Amino acid sequence: MDNIEFIKESAPHLRRKDSLVAMLLDVVIALAPVLIFAFIAWPLGALKNVLISVAVMELAELIFVLLTHPMPVDLQKHSLIERFKYGISSYRPSNFLAALVSALIFALILPASTSWYALMIGAAAGITLGKLLFGGTGNNLFNPAAVGMVFAKVCFGGTMYYTAPFAGVTEVTVSPTYLAGGDYGILDLFIGNVPGTLGETCKIAILLGLAYLLIKRVADWKVVVSYLGTFVLLTLAGGLTVTLPRGGFIPTYGEWVLSHLLAGGFLFGAVYMVTDPVTMPITTPSRVMYGMSAAIAAFFIRHFAALPEGVGYGILIANCLAPLFDYPKWSSEVWKKKDIIICVALPLAAIAIVIWTVFAGGFGL
Amino acid sequence: MIAKTKYIANTRNLLEILPTVDIGEPEDIFIAMENARCPKAELSIKEGDHVKLYQLIGMRYGPFFNQPIHSTVSGTFVGFEKHLHRSGKLVNFAHIKNDFKDEEDKTVTFERTDEEIAKLTREEIMEIARDRASAGLGGSSFPTYIKFDTKGRKINTILINGIECEPYITADKRMMVEHAETVINGIKLMQQAFGTKDARLCVKKKYKDIIDIYNTFLSEMPDSGITVCPVGNYYPQGWEIAMIKSATGIDVPSGHLPSEYGIINFNVSTVAGLYDSVKYNRPVIERYVSVTGDGIKHPGNFSIRNGTPMRYILEKCGGYTHPEKKKVFILGGPMMGASLPSDDCICTKTVTSIIVLNHDEIKEENCIRCGSCVLSCPVHLKPVQIMNAVKAMDKEMIKALEPLKCIECGLCAYSCTSKIQVTDYVRRAKVIAKL
Repeated sequence: MDNIEFIKESAPHLRRKDSLVAMLLDVVIALAPVLIFAFIAWPLGALKNVLISVAVMELAELIFVLLTHPMPVDLQKHSLIERFKYGISSYRPSNFLAALVSALIFALILPASTSWYALMIGAAAGITLGKLLFGGTGNNLFNPAAVGMVFAKVCFGGTMYYTAPFAGVTEVTVSPTYLAGGDYGILDLFIGNVPGTLGETCKIAILLGLAYLLIKRVADWKVVVSYLGTFVLLTLAGGLTVTLPRGGFIPTYGEWVLSHLLAGGFLFGAVYMVTDPVTMPITTPSRVMYGMSAAIAAFFIRHFAALPEGVGYGILIANCLAPLFDYPKWSSEVWKKKDIIICVALPLAAIAIVIWTVFAGGFGL
Repeated sequence: MIAKTKYIANTRNLLEILPTVDIGEPEDIFIAMENARCPKAELSIKEGDHVKLYQLIGMRYGPFFNQPIHSTVSGTFVGFEKHLHRSGKLVNFAHIKNDFKDEEDKTVTFERTDEEIAKLTREEIMEIARDRASAGLGGSSFPTYIKFDTKGRKINTILINGIECEPYITADKRMMVEHAETVINGIKLMQQAFGTKDARLCVKKKYKDIIDIYNTFLSEMPDSGITVCPVGNYYPQGWEIAMIKSATGIDVPSGHLPSEYGIINFNVSTVAGLYDSVKYNRPVIERYVSVTGDGIKHPGNFSIRNGTPMRYILEKCGGYTHPEKKKVFILGGPMMGASLPSDDCICTKTVTSIIVLNHDEIKEENCIRCGSCVLSCPVHLKPVQIMNAVKAMDKEMIKALEPLKCIECGLCAYSCTSKIQVTDYVRRAKVIAKL
């Protein structure tokens, strides 16, 4: 018989036809409709945002790979090129794609007017503080794009302004979106004919991306449903507190609710940022709680705080809470009584707070 | 992909229906001197002795029970040789040269009539099972006679496991098609032994042919109490807890015996083998083995004498495809079976299949916490958190995550998006949790 080499490996000997690279590629494909809209609506702004953030994040990832795979000490002299070649051999397609996904999302959640230095510093801070310091892909606590966006807005928010699509930079709208007092129709909000960041305005493109992510099962539908559902419930309650006390319906209740759902980065965050598997908990009940807490935080910031937009902050707050929901000794894949109580109590408590503000004569009026 | 795995895809494009082939008898038969449960053995024959088919040639001794050793061929005992056992250990085998006469040991075998069989009590059947070394042929090799001792618990339902949920294996399926009568007689014997009418033969839903065959047979005996119970096509449906849940709706918690719930289950090959032992008073010397995989030239199901060397079987299959490629040699299913470092191995009676796969280099990526392993785990463990606890050597956390519940079905590693060998980490956690 022929001389055959046998490999001893432990069971199972089969693997599902699926890979990390395929999953990351799917996210890039799902981002394509949004990217295409951004390039049509703000050609120069989109080119600048995407190029700078991709370049910075890819460079940071490359440096990270080189730093984390140093040549072993063997008391020999090695030239820099040799060391570089050794480190680069650990650089994989998944490194490239993971940084690309973060960079694209980061580019899309900033407006076309963002200055090049804000983009560079934001991207570098986002990937370094948000991901690389924790140990790279898979180990990060926070969504790198959200961290970068918050960093850029906190440092350079004053220089950013939102421009309407298809208009060039001449027509400047200082007030960011509907949320801060702009007045736009529901249809305009839906098709994207409103000022906003690059990715968030066109809801049709985002819904296309959502459909692709759900069909390919790259996004966990439970998180999407719990995030969207909780947010819808809260806007329904919030609408009551805003429109009813005024007596009249200007804007009407339906308009108020719909424009809240369609305005700002809510839908973009729900599709591309909340669904990031790395920063969410692992078990099903804790994923539902995670989606709820992100939605509650986003709505509270929008509704009560001075900031017009809260989706990014809401996601970062939920990222902080993810390890709590996911604590191995508490969480379980099987739904327990405790999980059901939390999942019912969380949104109910939030709705109660929103409605209570009416009687307390407080916010929102 | 974030998804639960229920079916194992046939990614290697293997034939799902294999013909049954007789491969003749090998010149040399090797009989194991030890196995996983009985580490010591004594032979009652000397080198050069002539042995007959079915002859009792020695005893294996174990901590809990002893097992008689029977010759599976007639010929001359020529000494000992070391070969690999199914468990992967290098073990002493008794080497018997086949004289191709199949001369039976008439002092042992005799035929019982149906009336005689109908009169047997549970103790008598148990005794035959013990003396004829009947063991769980699904792969566990657990002695059948011990299962007959239910410690006084009343058995209401007998489940016969014909599910064979591992992919690529069809040996039990072929056996059930070709020996339907023996299987039904075996089930009747079990009904008689446990004094219960309710016996269910569990088969995958998709095996319509088997369901039809048995329904035809059973329609001729309307009050036999035997029913065919189609269950889901999922993996791991053949795991006893999953089978009991599908067939009876009873959820047996881990750590409890099915007999506490009035249920006993047997593999279909075991039942057929036991009937053969009772009818002719002889041990099981042959079994159906699936030989398949993309590394084998002519896959098939084979009726194989216990003790046949694997190399003989593989030669009859035409050898390996792509000799330049590295191979993985698996005994048992591709999800749970052990891989051996060499094909110098002996086919014992608990080998259900031989699978040779071309080795694929798998590159592990970082875990991205997609949660597919958690969704897929049939016992609702959290394999990824067990893995992290093992990496952190956090013994307290490992214990809290209850890795000992794991049945090692392999679904966590199978479904991993990052291709991490999660099952291995859980195995390590089991060792740590036991400390």
